[in-house]
Amino acid sequence: MKMAASRLRLPRLAALASATALAVTVGMAQAQVDEEYWWTAGSGEVFPEVRDYPNAAGALRVLVEGGPVDTVGHAFFEPIGPNGRACVTCHQPHDAMSLTPRTAQERWEATGGTDPLFAAWDGSNCPTMPQGERASHSLLLDHGLFRIERPWPPRDLQGNPIETDFTIEVVRDPWGCNTGRAYGLDAEEPTVSVYRRPRPVANLKYILAVGFDYDPKSGLAMELDPETGEPMSGNLMSDRRAQSLSLQMRDAAASHLEMLRDLTDAERAQIADFESRVYAAQQTIGDDIALDEVAEGGAELLQRSEAGLLGIFASPVWSEFDAWAEMSEEEMAALPPETRAFRESVVRGLHLWRTRSFLVNDSAGINQPLGFGNPARNTCQFCHNMSRTGIDVAPGQIDLGTSNQPFADPMPHLPLFRITCTGRLPHPHYGREILTSDPGYALTTGRCLDVGKITTQQMRAMAAREPLFHNGIAADIPGLVDFYDRRYNIQYTPQERQDMINLLTAL
Amino acid sequence: MIALRIMGGALALCVATTATAQDVRFVACPIYRDTNYHESNPDHHGRRTGCWLVDDPETGIRYDVNDSWSKPDFAYGVLVEGDIKEGAEDTCGGIQLGPVRTSILYDRECPRRSLMAEGYTSRPPLFSERYVMPGFVERDLPDPPYRTMTFSPTFDFDSAFMTFNLSDYALDQAIYYYRQVGADNVSKVIVTGWAATEPEVISGVTLAERLEVAQERVDGIVTTLLRMGIPEDRIETHAYGNAEVSDTEYADGLEETSRRRADITVVVD
Repeated sequence: MKMAASRLRLPRLAALASATALAVTVGMAQAQVDEEYWWTAGSGEVFPEVRDYPNAAGALRVLVEGGPVDTVGHAFFEPIGPNGRACVTCHQPHDAMSLTPRTAQERWEATGGTDPLFAAWDGSNCPTMPQGERASHSLLLDHGLFRIERPWPPRDLQGNPIETDFTIEVVRDPWGCNTGRAYGLDAEEPTVSVYRRPRPVANLKYILAVGFDYDPKSGLAMELDPETGEPMSGNLMSDRRAQSLSLQMRDAAASHLEMLRDLTDAERAQIADFESRVYAAQQTIGDDIALDEVAEGGAELLQRSEAGLLGIFASPVWSEFDAWAEMSEEEMAALPPETRAFRESVVRGLHLWRTRSFLVNDSAGINQPLGFGNPARNTCQFCHNMSRTGIDVAPGQIDLGTSNQPFADPMPHLPLFRITCTGRLPHPHYGREILTSDPGYALTTGRCLDVGKITTQQMRAMAAREPLFHNGIAADIPGLVDFYDRRYNIQYTPQERQDMINLLTAL
Repeated sequence: MIALRIMGGALALCVATTATAQDVRFVACPIYRDTNYHESNPDHHGRRTGCWLVDDPETGIRYDVNDSWSKPDFAYGVLVEGDIKEGAEDTCGGIQLGPVRTSILYDRECPRRSLMAEGYTSRPPLFSERYVMPGFVERDLPDPPYRTMTFSPTFDFDSAFMTFNLSDYALDQAIYYYRQVGADNVSKVIVTGWAATEPEVISGVTLAERLEVAQERVDGIVTTLLRMGIPEDRIETHAYGNAEVSDTEYADGLEETSRRRADITVVVD
């Protein structure tokens, strides 16, 4: 991996203006990712303090608080498990410390599928499939999804089985990992395999921040870290199965790294130290639009801001771009037309974000059981309420319908489960039976009410880590906007849609 | 009419209001009126809007239950308990109730009914006086000398869920009172869960809380007390049915609501 911070030349933005609509389009060009940006486990190179990585929208910035990191012997970067992977294998800086299908495809091409990234355990659709064939890794290569195996029935933090109030059956098992003899509900040790995107290892102080003593979605005080006794945010993982960095590391080491031993205290401390200092955000749009010029986009503000603050009491969510709204006509007129058009679009998107209300319905975690009612009219920032990252302070286990039918798109490449709620009451929004490709939080709690709930994700650096949502249901940022538009009948005009896309791209 | 049981000495009550029979109490399907308050009131971006209405099946009178902190689900029936707010402006198309509670009855499905705004504007959403502040914010609690006090969160019908910024406020007050008094000065924390198990016929529907919900209310509170650092050996629990009416301030004077509660008594030596 080369150290030079090269800036890839991208085609200039296309600014399309008409009498009725102005659409500033980003993301039209596909930036080429080459070997320059792949970080090989154990490469021993220095992780730079600041580096910009090109993407289709412009450039992502990844910075490390406290200076460059020597990765020799560093547990985040060394292949400390038997499968040749390190944490960085699936949390690549170029991909905003996540991993994109495009990067996976390039590794497949470059290595003939022998890179440790494609480990049978979770880098293939199922370990029982022929590992040399591309088709056996299609979920990773085409959708950026890793296999996540959860015990059935779910276990508590002490490893004890949880009594569930639902049963689970397999309706569709395209890869045989839920109905096989080795993997699945009929295996000697029953498991459920679901497929999810890797969450970005960046901006974690926001993800780990505890805003309040109580979780309004559970009606209980925040859970305590069994290792430290301190409250945990509940926002770290998509199904909340591990809530501290230490617990997440252990989970990842045993699964993704296939380690047979526990991480040492020193390794965990080293990984936590690094992960707590990494920040990532889109830094520029195209070649010419700096997101921190006049405004405060980009990664530096993330580094120096306080985490865990509700936007309504602190800096409003995406106030980073408020300064663009306050520019005078004279100042705007002095800008290059594309820059002006983009800034104006982001400002309109910001206004939509804050003011465009829509009816949220049948989304457990919002409409039930907090008391907000079903339906509830509100705006984006109602749930995406934390300053700087747009995660849910609450914490954010919510069923948007990204996994549950009928709201989720057909996803024939994913398994499909039938959940039957057996408790005193059915699920308030689905009834007794739910068809889902990923029970989500319910695989942690064992509760029917939590089927399909996924922890709200941070919204930074999205252009660098598409596809989006936990299962990649949105191919890109426009797909994400369209999902919300369809799910909640927002009815964005083409101009509004583009303004929302531009706002989200600027994050 | 006080249902507090005296355990281990005289208990001082946290009394602010006197429970009286609420003006209205009925069961019906709710109606959502889709007003959009923020469009005409830009200062209220991002806050809850819309109107919740419920028609009393016996009188046909339409009530505005928006002031209920726990809103209805238009797919299920609700138990409405509230007082008529005299002189209140009609902003939703119904007589305003307040204080008011609505309990979702998940075993009573309803057709989903919603109305257009039809000129109604709704009104600024309530900001709860019982907003639970972050942990670092100082609570408004009594000054010394400290005495034994009881804090009584109330619940929706047959539910043990601690509604955010309503019932969790009373629990939060109890926890921070415990901390203010100091662990060395508190001999125990007594948690008593109550269930209104006596059957009643309301709007032709027989309602009675499950006895188990009294224990469920205790269990949730104890979970939170433990997570907030109150030692297990300091906590004493009880659960009872046939709940009686309480004067707890957290019921806002609604007599029947006050039965569905738990009493958290911080016993000061």
